[in-house]
Amino acid sequence: MAKADVILAGLGGSDNIVEIEPCITRLRVVVNDPGLVNDAVLKSAGTFGIVRSGSAIQVVVGPEADTLAEDIEDLR
Amino acid sequence: MSGTLLKHRQIRNYLRALATHELRVGDAIPSERELCERFSVARMTVRQAVDALVVEGILTRVQGKGTFVATPKVDLQMRLTTFEEEMTRRGYRASSTVLAADVRVPPGDVADALGLDEGQHTYYLYRIRFADDEPLALEESWLPVALFPGLYDPAPPQSLYATLAERGLPPDWGEDTIDADEVSRHEASQLGIDPERAVLRIARRTFSGTVATIYSRSVYRADRYTLWVPVLAPNLPSASHSVRFVRESSSRS
Repeated sequence: MAKADVILAGLGGSDNIVEIEPCITRLRVVVNDPGLVNDAVLKSAGTFGIVRSGSAIQVVVGPEADTLAEDIEDLR
Repeated sequence: MSGTLLKHRQIRNYLRALATHELRVGDAIPSERELCERFSVARMTVRQAVDALVVEGILTRVQGKGTFVATPKVDLQMRLTTFEEEMTRRGYRASSTVLAADVRVPPGDVADALGLDEGQHTYYLYRIRFADDEPLALEESWLPVALFPGLYDPAPPQSLYATLAERGLPPDWGEDTIDADEVSRHEASQLGIDPERAVLRIARRTFSGTVATIYSRSVYRADRYTLWVPVLAPNLPSASHSVRFVRESSSRS
């Protein structure tokens, strides 16, 4: 499975994502249910860290954040 | 370019040269009247040139007393450059003193940041950073031993970034987090500043591709540093042209 697919799954799937935005080295995501976000799955995609603040989730992915955000948008 | 603009620039360059080469910190600059006469311009033009240098932090106005050469702050941009490069670019002579260099098991949060399992070892480096022999910052660094076997043989490298590049893991991206804090008693004595002064604490994780190569924690004197951050509007995934724009213009050194 491609990296974008794994990240999307780790974020709880398409329906869980309210908004996703790349920001240099991170994906900034707003989710419906933070309980559906799975750190282990996100880590298995080769991401470098997760910062949580309520329904706002930031996934550290490195400089490919732009590309990944586009790929994830395409999957939704 | 209009004559006034040209004059404005001339005055600014004159004052900048005066402040950086001839006068010392705290010295008064020539009065507005003297400058008006020297450059044959209106007082307004002189004032604007001085204003520009006050904004730059080169001069400082003291109410009722006049305009003086300011204590320079070093503008620090968050980039993947070395301390030495940043200081050299600003005309300072950079140097370091190594306070500790050993192999150790890092604290848990450092191990996490480097993707290490519990008990895995790191090269630890603790340095004071100087600009023109004045201590500006303290820096602790941790590098996974597994990535850099023999890093300290025969001695810790002068430049970590240069050594990483030599070993095929050039730093190409990272993240900094910056916190304002008071200096600790111990840090104050190392930096030669009074206790309870403000500092900037900068934690950096440096990557080469997908590999976390260095985790560092620095303490910068707030009285000597201005943090400079270029900002851009956030890009939206739907607008691919702006995505490209942001990627290109934000690519760090």
